[in-house]
Amino acid sequence: MGMRRLTRLTGYAIVIILLFLLPLFVTKPYYLHIFIVTLLYIIVVSSLRTISLSGQVSVAHAAFMGIGGYFSGVISKELGLTPWLTIPLGGLAAMIVAILIGYPFTRVRAIYFSMVSLLGGMAIVNIIRVCQKWTGAAGLAGIPPLSPINIPGLINIVFLGQKVPYYYFTLLLTLVSLVVLHRIEHCRIGMTWKAIAQSHFVASSVGINEAGSRVLALAVGCFFAGIAGASYAHYNLVLTPNTFGFLPSIFLVMYMLVGGRDRFGGPIIGTAILVMVPELFRGLKAFAPLILGAIMVIVVFLMPQGIAGLFDQIRARHGEVRNRKVPGSAA
Amino acid sequence: MEKSVTERYLEVLLETKRLTKFFGGLAAVSQLDMHVNRGEIVGLIGPNGAGKTTVFNLVTGFLRPTGGKVLFDGKDITGKKPHATAKIGIGRTFQLAYLLPDFTVLENVVASFYLYPKSGFWEAIFNTSAYRKKEEYIVNQAREILRFVGLEKVTDELAKNLPHGYQKVLGVARALAVKPRLLLLDEPIAGMSHDEIDFSLRAFEKMRSQGMTILLVEHNMGIMSICDRIMVLNFGHKIAEGTPGEVRQNEGVIQAYFGSEYAA
Amino acid sequence: MGPALLAQVAVNALMLSSMYILMALGFAILLSVMRVLNFAHAVIYMGGGYVCYQLAVVYGLNQWASLVVAAAVMGLFGLFLERFCLRPFFGDVNRTIVMTLALIVILESVVNILVGTQVRSLPAFASGVIRSGGVSLSVERLVTFIISAVLLLVLIFFIQKTKMGQQMLAVSQEPTGAVLQGINIYRVSAVATTIACALAAVAGSLMGAIVSLSPYMGDHMLVKAIEIVILAGIGSIGGVLGAGLILGTIDASLPILISGCATDALGLGIVILILLFRPQGLFGHEA
Repeated sequence: MGMRRLTRLTGYAIVIILLFLLPLFVTKPYYLHIFIVTLLYIIVVSSLRTISLSGQVSVAHAAFMGIGGYFSGVISKELGLTPWLTIPLGGLAAMIVAILIGYPFTRVRAIYFSMVSLLGGMAIVNIIRVCQKWTGAAGLAGIPPLSPINIPGLINIVFLGQKVPYYYFTLLLTLVSLVVLHRIEHCRIGMTWKAIAQSHFVASSVGINEAGSRVLALAVGCFFAGIAGASYAHYNLVLTPNTFGFLPSIFLVMYMLVGGRDRFGGPIIGTAILVMVPELFRGLKAFAPLILGAIMVIVVFLMPQGIAGLFDQIRARHGEVRNRKVPGSAA
Repeated sequence: MEKSVTERYLEVLLETKRLTKFFGGLAAVSQLDMHVNRGEIVGLIGPNGAGKTTVFNLVTGFLRPTGGKVLFDGKDITGKKPHATAKIGIGRTFQLAYLLPDFTVLENVVASFYLYPKSGFWEAIFNTSAYRKKEEYIVNQAREILRFVGLEKVTDELAKNLPHGYQKVLGVARALAVKPRLLLLDEPIAGMSHDEIDFSLRAFEKMRSQGMTILLVEHNMGIMSICDRIMVLNFGHKIAEGTPGEVRQNEGVIQAYFGSEYAA
Repeated sequence: MGPALLAQVAVNALMLSSMYILMALGFAILLSVMRVLNFAHAVIYMGGGYVCYQLAVVYGLNQWASLVVAAAVMGLFGLFLERFCLRPFFGDVNRTIVMTLALIVILESVVNILVGTQVRSLPAFASGVIRSGGVSLSVERLVTFIISAVLLLVLIFFIQKTKMGQQMLAVSQEPTGAVLQGINIYRVSAVATTIACALAAVAGSLMGAIVSLSPYMGDHMLVKAIEIVILAGIGSIGGVLGAGLILGTIDASLPILISGCATDALGLGIVILILLFRPQGLFGHEA
């Protein structure tokens, strides 16, 4: 195992261990809350990047978070099912919607796809709003929290009102999701997506079913968005449609771009910084968004490849040029 | 002696019947009847805009014909999608050397091994030993192909950094990954140096000797030497057909290429 | 539906369409001339409204004059925008998106800080009601429509008859060709941005009088502009008129029958369907 790889893996291991130990030194519930929300958004933005590997930049991803959240919230509330069951179902719901509306959308490519997806996302959120009977006039309230894990004599984990159990749940969920997404990207499935992104002509000519493969990308990405959305629902216990609308979807794309689309870690870094840093400045009240804006401006002017691409940028500057660009992504 | 229908049926690999394609009011390909026999190398030549690449696109499903049929190995494949035509054994290259630019030469070919052997979704994710064996086999086969086409020295170079001639050859390597029975080559030697052309022509002949059928489109008359038959297209019509010798002397062909003052 | 209601709906449709068109035109110009999805257009719209408010209500300037000045101010801001925020990232779609989003974030919060989210509105530009045959029409809305129609005609004249207008058209259709012909695309994009921003500012002021002003008022209009531009087709500036009319009519008439959200969903559904069968939009040329 190369030296570089060893250092990198050790680094990851340290970070993961620190994350597990986090609640020991971060005790204020408010800060844990930030971490929880950030982790969930990391899942969403990473899955957005996975979809974009196939050349489809979806500007509707927040809407799929919403589908997962509302579906899981509504059926667990109305049918009394445990969220442990309805969260995966929320993911499935988002995945199914993605497949259904994804097929027609494979007729359009590149920026046209992004534009149509923007409209699609807005339509989804509007439909959620229209179904007020289930989703509530001002929002969906009364969503059940994660049911307690109770093995008599061994453990009793209660989630209601406790941040720490939610934190560990979210951390585990995020780690598992990232591992899966990473695996998919680096096996033949991901390779096929990258091929489509670079040239759908070439891809078709070697037998790749472009439409089917693209729908698969959408299905996978939206599944994870749905899971994250559902988890959010059972954490926040309240949902409003605005959380999943037009601007949030665009911001998700922005998190991905600022973090850097070329590396797997891009969405992780981008989301972490863009969500957590403004929160640190929350005391500034109305001035807080300015911090976000400032970060965006700095990154866009100084880091063309995003924050995660900073490393490559510096190395390229010193003559060591190794192409890490995501195949098929336009400049 | 006239061949029986069955014998002819067994011989013909690709056939088009009255193949037509209109773009608006313009007929790019008009009532084209042509066929390619197994094991042949057939050349499709003609001036610019004669419709040659359109024929390729029609056969491989990148364009839908306005009329007529395409038959492959006796089966009607008219209007099948491109990936379906690849699946039944038609491989193709592109005139503009379309590649996967951000992949290395090796990755280009490895990625092209999508169809055979096929890996399932779950076995890929779980990295089963069957999957790993398939991928290893693919990498070995890819290196074989690269050796065969002479690209083994640039295996790890990014495709977009290759000089044009190499890119064209990479296109052929990619097409071979589909394990095609029929290879459609669109201007395979355009822009190549003399040595590269020689090498390519010998490679095509080697492929033919291994059972490959090749239909190629070219401008460069030098291709004629390895073709068993030539078909000449002009304004979407087939205006001549025959051995290279016959075609070279055909009046209509001379007229098409050089103008009427040179004919007869 | 009686004639009175029908007339009102018609006037609303015209007014709404013209507002949408003003907004969407600016957006479309930027998109086709500079290939830029300018999200910041939302804050230009909003800024125009607030500048007009500042001049007319706070400083007491004549409201019509304020409208003109607001348009000029936002036009100038557009120049600044183009030179420092868009030009550095020509051709880089990703960074342009991040940049324009940064602008929305920064400017919306700046206005929020300065002005607060307290809702204000501009006094009506024209008041009164026309009554005829039992039908009463709001003069204000009619006047709004007329102003927009006039601006549109001026714009069309500009594009068709002036040299700069023709250059803009050329760049939007074939940028490389235009450069080869000696057209200074930087100057063209500067002019285009100025015009686009002025139009949005006018729309913002007019709407600020009919509805109200808020730091986030641009978001909704931006969405409409995007819908219209997508429906009209990339590269088609004229198609914006048709698409704007369609969307404006839908948004003015459907809410009578179904709820606002359902209207939006339906409108979106129609646009999506059209796009899937005709990706180049109703009037676009590139596929």
